[in-house]
Amino acid sequence: MSLSVTAVVVTYNRADKLPTVLDRLAEQTRPVDRILVIDNASTDDTPAVTARYAERPQVDVVRLETNTGGAGGFATGMRLAYEGGADFAWIMDDDCYAEPDALGELLSGLEAAEKQMNMRLPFACSVVQWVDGDVCEMNNPGTTWDWGRLLVRDIPVVLVEHCSFVSVLVPRWTMAQFGLPLSEYFIWFDDQEYTRRVTAAGPGVQCLRSRVVHDLPVNRGVNFSDVNESNFWKFAYGVRNEASYQWHHVDKAAALRFAQRVHRGLKEGHVSRRLRLELAKKFVEGLRFDPKPEFPKTVL
Amino acid sequence: MTEHDRPRDDTMDADERGSRHAMASDTEPGPGATRLYTIHEATWWADLDERERRLLDGALTVSTLVHPGHLLRVVALRGEAGTTPETTGPSTGRVAWTGASGPVALVTVSGPTGKPDDEAPLDLVVDLGGQVATFVQAISLAPAPLRKALFAVRSRVPVAFDALRQWRTDRLERRPGRYTIPRTRSAPRADAAPGYAGERPRAVLFGLHWLELGGAERWALECIAAAKEAGFVPIVLTDRASSSPWVTREEMDGAVFVPITSPLEAHQDAALLNGLFEAYDIRGIHVHHSSWLYERLAWIRTRFPWVHIVDSLHILEWRTGGFVDIAVRLSDAIDVHHVISPQLRDYLVQQMRIPREKVVLATLAELTAGAVAPGERTPGERPTVAFVGRLTQQKRPYLFLRLVARLRKDLPDARFVLHGGGELAEEVHALTRRLGLVGTVEFRGADHPVSETLHDADVLVITSDNEGVTLTSFEADAHGTLVVSTDVGSQRSVVVEDLLVPRHPLAFLSAARERVVTAVSDRARREEWLAEQRRKVTAFAGLPHAREWTHDLYREWNA
Repeated sequence: MSLSVTAVVVTYNRADKLPTVLDRLAEQTRPVDRILVIDNASTDDTPAVTARYAERPQVDVVRLETNTGGAGGFATGMRLAYEGGADFAWIMDDDCYAEPDALGELLSGLEAAEKQMNMRLPFACSVVQWVDGDVCEMNNPGTTWDWGRLLVRDIPVVLVEHCSFVSVLVPRWTMAQFGLPLSEYFIWFDDQEYTRRVTAAGPGVQCLRSRVVHDLPVNRGVNFSDVNESNFWKFAYGVRNEASYQWHHVDKAAALRFAQRVHRGLKEGHVSRRLRLELAKKFVEGLRFDPKPEFPKTVL
Repeated sequence: MTEHDRPRDDTMDADERGSRHAMASDTEPGPGATRLYTIHEATWWADLDERERRLLDGALTVSTLVHPGHLLRVVALRGEAGTTPETTGPSTGRVAWTGASGPVALVTVSGPTGKPDDEAPLDLVVDLGGQVATFVQAISLAPAPLRKALFAVRSRVPVAFDALRQWRTDRLERRPGRYTIPRTRSAPRADAAPGYAGERPRAVLFGLHWLELGGAERWALECIAAAKEAGFVPIVLTDRASSSPWVTREEMDGAVFVPITSPLEAHQDAALLNGLFEAYDIRGIHVHHSSWLYERLAWIRTRFPWVHIVDSLHILEWRTGGFVDIAVRLSDAIDVHHVISPQLRDYLVQQMRIPREKVVLATLAELTAGAVAPGERTPGERPTVAFVGRLTQQKRPYLFLRLVARLRKDLPDARFVLHGGGELAEEVHALTRRLGLVGTVEFRGADHPVSETLHDADVLVITSDNEGVTLTSFEADAHGTLVVSTDVGSQRSVVVEDLLVPRHPLAFLSAARERVVTAVSDRARREEWLAEQRRKVTAFAGLPHAREWTHDLYREWNA
């Protein structure tokens, strides 16, 4: 029997890129069974775009009343995918263009890895490239110590312990056992927290033949030396969320090492004292911030 | 007693033995007669009705199968009123009977491989049970003193009684190892069937609990009809002593009936199965709630590895897991588990780690949808709150009465209808008197169609402490009736999120009271909930249908 895959695309004010994302999903060689677009209360032309795509039989659009951030959008989308009976949720941003075989390779890579390792694995992610074909700096997964275990057996799959939410295939059981992403994170580190949480069951896999393009304006990873007035709000969430994760779910020393890393980055970037102070407050906020995951319930 | 002993050549196999006598019942012997056993002599003291005739046919079938190579001299008894048949087990070897039981026939039979001329007959006594079919499920299983104690406690303090029961359920469900079920291993399936000597009818073997009213049995009969349609002879094995009132349903026409009422002796298991496989080209086995057949699947898979094996699962039993956990234990011998609810699919795949590919979700929604003729509600009628279901412990009708006791203060104009019958009927009436609800609650039974009650109702309350997916929810939706239900089983699939209430009795009463009052008095909210209910029921109805799945499956088996 065929397993059902629901693609979950979370979008916010990307009316220009969203059609390409949805077109690429519709062109998969292994068809997606359902495409679920979560519109995070976009204020641009997104509703017009989504209305056009909603006419397609396999596309469902859910428009949220408020912007719940990427974390809230993914939590909602994965919950709805689960409630809709999906065997897998394939989650991605609204600027992620999947190559035609992306889904097929994720499914076959995960199946081959599970067979080889004789265990079920909690997620599979794609290789994320930037528009020029280079690896996308922001979306490199963290590998396990034995990352090449399957490569040496000629299976094009690398073992990983965390990744970003840009083309990740999450099996139904993972959502049932570990719950959904923390919507309270709003943005940043929600993907890291989630994938690290679910690897308690075993490593995730990156399927090297599954490729997507992340259409970012610039190809640059997260770097605290880049903090400025306009992007500060994002870094504020990032500091609070990671501080929370390290303090409550790793250990206190890990949280302190994270503080040190942030401090070093800010110093190297000559970030103003005011912003540094604000981020320090966010760090402290993170120590008191410990949201709990919501678990999806079986409906269909 | 009058001896009929009427010879009738047209029912006999044409052989040279001469002095044989046919069954004296007005109808032809069952389908087992020609292939699985041969009647040599028959003496009759009473005519049998259709159900008894099918039971005797089943008794002779199972007797000849478990005694291969023997000539059998079988006394068929009609038991006391209210008793159930005994077609297998130690009692069939005792040539004594008690009470008002009495013989209706003396039949000499042999199986297809018997050598009746070479040996003395083996004497057996089979009991066809009372002349009027009794529904075993309406009889309390608890012994009399315990039943009285339960009655006393449940009748006087139903909420406390139920709270303790739910607490016990929670505790047992959380016990360590609840989900660790040892798996029985069997040989792998082999595709190729060996070449058969001679042409044998193709058949599907069905395992059922019994042939009585029930959701699983209703579905099993659908499958039996589908097997016939696909060109198979259905062989229907039941493993629970029962009057088998449904043996006379048209789906059973042409089916070979194998009623096992008590455990067989160890060597007889294989004899029975070998006999069936020798007589028929059994292509597939479909288990519908039959412990006996489940337990023998590993052997069957090992002995007859080409046979397709599937089962249908309906409900997860609290505390024991029921047939679902038996299926998990025997999963290695089963090719596909058919489940009727998303909850069961997730239980098998996620909790029990059955490979996803082996689990097929196909719902029974269509079994109801076609039968419902929704009617328009007449505005201005008194608001009506209804309970529809069997009066059993699982359905908890006493909680509905407690709810009514609270609601009559909130909804003084409302009408309350309790529709159903069953083992708790006496308790329910006693509690109605104790709560002063006589005249407030309208009781309806088999004299009223369920559709009429659902048509009358504004709100249907489902108080069950366990369910699969209630088909009544579909019927209620078709009548524009809102369903307030305990959040058990897969009820979440068809009931509005806001109208799902806790299983624990105190929490249930509080939440259900609030929801029912809102559903009756807040028109706007009611419309919203009805729209959401319709959306959910429609989405559920869009899942694959069991009927289609079964038809495809049997066609494949007969390819």
